[in-house]
Amino acid sequence: MRRRITLAAAALVTTSALLLTACTGSPSGETTTSAGPADSSATLRVGLVLEPSNLDIRHTSGAALEQVLIGNVYEGLVSRSQDNEVENALATDHTVSDDGLTYTFTLAQGVAFHSGDPLTVDDVVSSFTQVKDDETIIGHADFANVAGIAADGADKVVVTLTTPDQNFLFNLTGPAGLVVKAGDTTDLKTAENGTGPFTLTRWNQGDSLELARNDAYWGEPAGVASVVLQYIPDFTAGVNAALDGSLDVLTAVDPTLAPQLDGAQGFSLTTGKTTDKATLAFNNKKAPLDDKRVREALRLAINHDDLVTAVGAGQTLYGPIPELDPGYEDLSGTISYDPERAKELLAEAGAENLELTLTIPSFYGTTVPQVLVSDFEAVGVDLTVDAVEFSTWLQDVYTNRDYDLSFVLHVEPRDFGNFANPDYYFGYDNPDVQKLYQEALATVDPDESADLLAQAAKIVSEDSAADWLYNGATITAVQSTVSGFPVDSINSRIDLAGVTVSK
Amino acid sequence: MIRYALTRAALLLVGLFVASVLIFLSLRVLPGDIAQLIAGSEGTPAQVAAIRESLGLNEPAITQYFGWIGGVLSGDLGSSLLTGSSVAAELAQKAQVTVPLGILALTIALVISVPLGVLSALRRGRPGGTALSVASQALAAVPVVWAGMMLVVVFAVWLGWLPAQGFPRDGWADPGAALRALILPALTIGVVEGAMLLRFVRSATLQAIGQDYVRTAAAKGLTRTTALLRHGLPNVGLSVITVLGLQVAGIVVGAVVIEQLFTLPGIGRMLVTDVGNRDLPKVQGELLVLTGFVLLVGFVVDLLHRVIDPRQRES
Repeated sequence: MRRRITLAAAALVTTSALLLTACTGSPSGETTTSAGPADSSATLRVGLVLEPSNLDIRHTSGAALEQVLIGNVYEGLVSRSQDNEVENALATDHTVSDDGLTYTFTLAQGVAFHSGDPLTVDDVVSSFTQVKDDETIIGHADFANVAGIAADGADKVVVTLTTPDQNFLFNLTGPAGLVVKAGDTTDLKTAENGTGPFTLTRWNQGDSLELARNDAYWGEPAGVASVVLQYIPDFTAGVNAALDGSLDVLTAVDPTLAPQLDGAQGFSLTTGKTTDKATLAFNNKKAPLDDKRVREALRLAINHDDLVTAVGAGQTLYGPIPELDPGYEDLSGTISYDPERAKELLAEAGAENLELTLTIPSFYGTTVPQVLVSDFEAVGVDLTVDAVEFSTWLQDVYTNRDYDLSFVLHVEPRDFGNFANPDYYFGYDNPDVQKLYQEALATVDPDESADLLAQAAKIVSEDSAADWLYNGATITAVQSTVSGFPVDSINSRIDLAGVTVSK
Repeated sequence: MIRYALTRAALLLVGLFVASVLIFLSLRVLPGDIAQLIAGSEGTPAQVAAIRESLGLNEPAITQYFGWIGGVLSGDLGSSLLTGSSVAAELAQKAQVTVPLGILALTIALVISVPLGVLSALRRGRPGGTALSVASQALAAVPVVWAGMMLVVVFAVWLGWLPAQGFPRDGWADPGAALRALILPALTIGVVEGAMLLRFVRSATLQAIGQDYVRTAAAKGLTRTTALLRHGLPNVGLSVITVLGLQVAGIVVGAVVIEQLFTLPGIGRMLVTDVGNRDLPKVQGELLVLTGFVLLVGFVVDLLHRVIDPRQRES
């Protein structure tokens, strides 16, 4: 259980983004629209779908939390870019020893927490030690290989591992790597004490979060004086709010509603890449899905191109690793739409007139289940759709593995490890894949590691351990007065510091 | 009268107690728990167990119930497992949206239903009355969500007169802005509830028209309309009060839907979120207060009846 899928939040955010056919996207990077000089006293108003349930990012999982707090309010030694590359943040430099066991970080100088206390190496050591020791801290599992955390002088922190871990640095870009003040008494559920370019000024639960520029920020100060993050769970209400002038940016635009915003009242749309894998999970441990022929037949029965069209945004994906992650390779050759062959395989497996249940968190809507029901019907599989609340899904499917098929957007980057973990809810157990994955993690050279991952991913796809219905895309509507709003991966990070609003 | 009030008050308390047990038990039936949600899909069973332990979820149900009800009796409605915030404080905060919304909706419903209901009864059989009757029947059948969306499309998106969603972040600091934010949601509930109430006022009025005392008054030389207005309406008012009590419950339910649709940070939306999060102590507190409120309305309606209607006092 090393990797992480933060399903609920970003999943919802992106599902929304999955249903669009034609939308004018500017190339990846940033939006380039601009009108007039930037107004440094401006307020940026952003509409989002899913609100964090509390603000304690160290003890609560959830993409909604990470999306707005990491990089804006809290910072780690390293952070990740929109295309998932690791970048320095609170560290000005980091080095990895040749054996891949020792990580040395040099801490930036002049950094202060929002309380005014200076950041020291002791704060980093204390933060990391807590993650290592306290099971209830999110990201605890990411530190399983950590052998030692120590300060070296006044500006260096050294972390040693028991075995090399190709993902360790990347994991530090998540909640596990955040630095909080040692011995701080702030109640993190409702308040914060980060080092980021914004401070949290108000949380109006059930409505909005307000951020203000941290004028004492150690780096480049933020481009706007304040940000209002307005949470609007209903997609139509979000579009209406944008149209009535209440918002400068609307994230996670529902693809079916996107045309209403395209070009309307100064809005333009961007389409961003994500690592969202719309995964049709098969219960590999339960008959008849423990039979590879049945799983393959189900994959052959799905017309992926039509599905992407129906969903409206995103692209086909035939393996467990998306384009933004290391080890990606185009696996479209492993499977093709072939209902006749699917019927043959089902007959071979003695699984004609199959009745299966699809358990799906209810916020995903009905488009995907409808397509699956009709595709499966064509090959003689009767699919019952069971839409449940997310907490029910977590209990029945994730914890108790009581399901046949499940549909969830696995949004977390670099989560291939789920297929190398026989205890994960997929129940997929292939020693070759597990071995390759372990080698990939332990390999110090990133290219070699990516190559091993690609090999493992190919086996997983050939085994039809699951089906990957599509790789999601996220649509954002941005006012012409707004510049620098990020485009890619914004369902896991929204870097607000670089955004400006012109008069 | 005092004895009657005391008996009704005792019944109210018994009702609340039964409600508290039902609320507690029905929530325990829901699958899934908050510890799993906090740990997320990354959480290992050990992690989830540690979180459950730290939240006190492993205690026997009976201990949890008495812990909760004991708190309530000493004036503590409990606090959220997720945010640690006090249920009472949250309710007070969200009531700033929901209570004015309810009052506004009720006012709109009354303003529509009473005059039009009486008019529709007086004009029975004539084109105007029939039109009113048909219109009210149609409106009463409209789903609240659809009505809301139509109002938004016309008044917010096309005409741009009113905000489509949300509530001022400063609450009632700017009463004008707050009121503007509530107009469309209140209209949505008010029109639909008003249409239902109209049908009720109409039939109550028709019944009054047929009563002996109205006929007697008319025989004494009053016009039928005057006779009705002077002698019939107080009786119509009595029945309307009863129905209004029920309407209040309807408005609370309507608020759950409408607050979601208009993104209003009120009690209804909070309840939906908390149930989804399985924040059971918070949901329990919220439901108990709402139930108490509806029971209280029933209590007040009964007392009012007693005060207004002399016949009931005698019996």
